[in-house]
This record gives sequence, C-alpha cells and structure tokens, in this order.
Amino acid sequence: MKLPTISIPLVVLATVVFANPAIQASEDRILTLGGAIAGGKVALTRADVLEFPQHQIVTTTSVTDGPQTFEGFLIRDLLQDLDAEGDVVVARALNDYQIEIPISDFERFDVVGALSMEGVPLSSRDKGPIWIVYPRDDHPELQDIRYDTRWVWQLVSLHVQ
Amino acid sequence: MSLGQTKGLWRSDWLSYALYVPVLAIFLGALIFALAQSSTLERDMRIAATQNMLWVVSQTQMEIYALALSVSAPDRDEDAIARRYDLAISRLNLIQQGPQARYLETLGHLDGIERMTAALLDLDPQRRGHTARLHDALADLCADLHPQINRIANDVMIADWDKAAARLDTYRDTQRLVMVSVTFSLLAALAITWLLLSKQRQLFHAEVQTLRASRLLKQEQDTASTYRDFAAIVSHQLRTPLTLIDSAMHRLERLGDDVSASEVSRRRAVVSGAIGRLVRLSDTVLLLARIDNSQIGVRFEPLHMADIARTLVAEAQAQHHVRRIDLSCAEGPLVAWGDGDLVGHIIDNLLSNALKFSAPDKPVEMRVFAQGQQIACAVSDQGPGITEVDQPYVFDRYYRGQPYVEGVGLGLALAQSLARLQGGHINLETWPGKGSVFTLWLDAAPSGSRSQRSDN
Repeated sequence: MKLPTISIPLVVLATVVFANPAIQASEDRILTLGGAIAGGKVALTRADVLEFPQHQIVTTTSVTDGPQTFEGFLIRDLLQDLDAEGDVVVARALNDYQIEIPISDFERFDVVGALSMEGVPLSSRDKGPIWIVYPRDDHPELQDIRYDTRWVWQLVSLHVQ
Repeated sequence: MSLGQTKGLWRSDWLSYALYVPVLAIFLGALIFALAQSSTLERDMRIAATQNMLWVVSQTQMEIYALALSVSAPDRDEDAIARRYDLAISRLNLIQQGPQARYLETLGHLDGIERMTAALLDLDPQRRGHTARLHDALADLCADLHPQINRIANDVMIADWDKAAARLDTYRDTQRLVMVSVTFSLLAALAITWLLLSKQRQLFHAEVQTLRASRLLKQEQDTASTYRDFAAIVSHQLRTPLTLIDSAMHRLERLGDDVSASEVSRRRAVVSGAIGRLVRLSDTVLLLARIDNSQIGVRFEPLHMADIARTLVAEAQAQHHVRRIDLSCAEGPLVAWGDGDLVGHIIDNLLSNALKFSAPDKPVEMRVFAQGQQIACAVSDQGPGITEVDQPYVFDRYYRGQPYVEGVGLGLALAQSLARLQGGHINLETWPGKGSVFTLWLDAAPSGSRSQRSDN
C-alpha cells in the first residue's frame, strides 16, 4: 500500500470514528428487491440479510490495493430464496448508478453481497451498506472492465426481470 | 573413398551445420523478443481503474454539488442532507484509496483532497446535529470546494489524455518492434529452410552418386563374371569338336596308307560336323558380342516367311537325313517385317534345338501362320519338355537346364535378343514329358512395302 503517510490516519479516522454512526440500525431497510420475485416487492433489513449463510471471498479489487477479505451473503441464495425468475437483475446504488447483471453470473461465480471488508462493516460513507463483490482472483475472466462495472457499491435495490 | 576424403566431408558437414546456429539464434531470438513485447502489450491492454479517474473525480464533484443543493433547499430535508453528505464523503474516501490516491499524488492533489475531506468531516451533521448554522456552513464549504475539485477534474482530464497518447505511442512502438522482429524471424526461417533444402539436395546428389557408383560396380562385376562364365563354357565347348577333329586325324594317321576311301569319307564327315559346330559357336559368340556392343544394324525388309522356312527345313533335312521334319504353311501371304539373316539364325537355332532335344525317331514340326498383325513360325518337338523350375530361365544366358544339357546356353538367349531387335519375340509352350513349342512372332510387313516387293 503506497498511500501517503498522512492519509492513513485520516482513512482510519473516517472508518472508525465517523463511519460507525453511518451504519444503519438493524431495523432500517437496507435493500429492496422487486420485479419477478415472490411477493413482487421485498425490503430487507441488515438482520434479514445476515440470516443467509455468510460467505467469505478474498480478492483484490480495482479500486483498492492488495487482497481484501469480504464477507456477506451469496446473491444466488437471496434470489433463490425469493423464487426470482428472470434473466437479469438491475442493480441500483445510492447515487442512482445502475447496471444490468445477467443472473447467470450468480450461477457461474460465487458473487457476494458483501457487508464487511477486512472484518469492518461497510459504511454508506464508504462502499456500504452492501457491495457486490466478484471472486475476481479465482477467475481470470473476471479481471475485466466489463465485470468491474458490475461491482456495485452502496447497493440499495435489485430488480429481477 | 579414402579416409582423408571422409574426414574432409565430415568437417564440411560440421561447417554447414554450424551455419544454422546463428540463423537459428536470430530466428528464436527475434521470436522470443516479439513474444515478450506482445505479452507486455497484452498486460498493458487491460483497463486500469485509474483510467476511470475522470469519472470518479466528476462523481465526487457532482456529489459535492448535490450536497450544496440539498443544504440550500428551502425545506432542508435532514434525511436528504444526511444521505447527500454520506455520498459526498464516500466519493472523497474512494479517491483517497489505492490506485486513485497514487494517481492524485502524482498530480499533487492528494493533500488538497485530504484537506477537503477533513473540512467536510468537521461539519458532520450526524455528530453535530442538523442546525441552520451547520447547513449554512456546509453550503459555504461546498461553494469553496467547488472550484478546487473543478481544477482537480481539469488536471485529471489533461493527465488522462497525456497518458492515453503516451500509451498509444508505446503500443505503436511495440507494434513496430514486433513487426521488425517477426520479419527477422521470417527471414531466418527462410534461411533455415533454404539451408535445409540445399543440404537435402546435396545429400540426394551424394546418394545418387553412391547409387550410380554401386550400380557401375555391380555392372562391372556382372561383366567380369559373365566373361568368366563365358570363357569357361566356350572353351569347354571348343574342346569337344576340337577333340573330335584331333582323334579323326590321329586315326587317319595311324591307318597310314591302309586308309580306305570309305574310312576317309567317314572321318571327313566327323571333321566337317565338328567344324560346323565350331562355326556356329563362333557365329553365336560374335552375334552376342555385337548385340552387347549395340553393333547390330537391323536391315528391315519384307520377309516371305514360307520361303525362308522351306529353305531352312531343306538344309536341316540334308544334315539330318534320318529325321522327319514336317513343314506346314498357312494359306495367304505370310510376309513378316524383319532382317532375313537374323530371322534365318533364329529359326535355324529353334530347329536345331528341336532336333537336338528330341529322340531321333520323333518328328519335328514347323508351322508358319498369321495371327492378327503378326506372322508366327512355330517349331514343335516331342522331346522331354521343360520342367516348371527351368521354364522362367530358358531364355537366360548360360542357362542350360537341369539335368545338364549339352550346349553353351547361349542359343536361345541370342535368338530372343535377335527377335526383340526386330520388334518381335519368342514364346514357349511346353508340356513336360510330351514336348515343347517355341514360336517366333514378328510383325507383319507394312502393306506398302509388301506391294513394292511384289512389283520387283
């Protein structure tokens, strides 16, 4: 990591001191799902998504240095649980960034809705509350800008169609 | 080939192979270089996160702008402000991480971003509570940050374009290098191919030379052994008639004046028969020698085969008056195309063989007939025939069959050679224990030549 020395305490400060208040209380809805799913529309709290089997991925990312350990639920599990039927999922972020992700991605790879990085919960002041993380280091074909754009951070909704 | 020559060749072999080493080195070297360059290019072709830098910075710029709008809105919705605040902070955090931070450091903007972040975090509404004063302070700060982030975006754009242009330059240079190395490689490959081909040609030539030499040697050996066989057989065959002549002379000498006229006549017949054999033998040997040296000129002419057969049968009958020799000639013109002397020699040979190899009480038969465009003269005997073992070798020189048959073993070989010289051939049909038929086949004379003959 070649960050200038001065930035390290600031980043630490940002995550430790100021990020914590930004992590939603567990009763807050952090992810909404819509489209071709059972019930048509579902809103999930942090506690809800934590109920799914938690999965770990160690991988590098395109915006950080070195491998990072992510932990979260498999998107595949979530979609299966909601009886999602469709070809693509439209993922939308807090800033209204949106992208279509083929559902086959979740079948072929263990794509995770990460809730924490390096054991620290993801904050909405960083890439939280949920960051879509691909096992980039395990599959060379994922080391491509066309997959990088599917790593949606600050994920707020998934629309199955 | 002497040892010295072999050594010389060996050395020149090594020399010619040594040529491959630098060429191969050029070929492989250029290829490896091209490969290495291409792989660098391939690695570099991936889109790095920092190539997205302008977008990341402009997103940050936009979030700060959106925060400014939300704190300046008349309703000052606290949730909306909090959300906008978080987004602005998250974007500032993003551009201070990993590759983004390094990029900004090269542009000398990292410190500025850190100061901005610190200033913004100082006004955290979640910590300090949403007050009108804080919202005003946030609005002022955003207004202050705007030109700064704008400048950063500006510098990032220029740096991006510079980098993109430099990247393209590198790609072009690499591409050129790869093209040059591939060209070298190609030339080296061509050189190797050429060397190999010329080597192969040399080898081929050498092989041909060896083959030719060994064939010549074999020919020489064959000729030598032919002459050895020839000398042995001919001298043996010369002995018999010479011994006959010698003993006849001795007998006459011993009888002295008491010799009767009938005795003289008997001895004279023996001598003349022996001389006849000697003449035939020397004729045969001479003819064969001429064939071997391609000295026989064939004088083609229309041959009235019936006439020739009649003459030859009459001569044979005169020599062997106790034997029965039948001649039958087919109807119609039996005009062959060949050399009268050579044909006479062939038929005489076939006829004397038939007489020689069959019992005195068995008749010999000669038939002349036409078949298709050919004229045939078949000589049949009722001799022992020729065994299956001997049949393939009947026309070979010095082959005399089993059991041993008297003769040089040249007659049929010569007859066949002479027949072929005239475009014809002799074939054999034989029934062991019953007899044989040797048939001379010759082309019929062309009709024009035949009429010319009949005009004369």
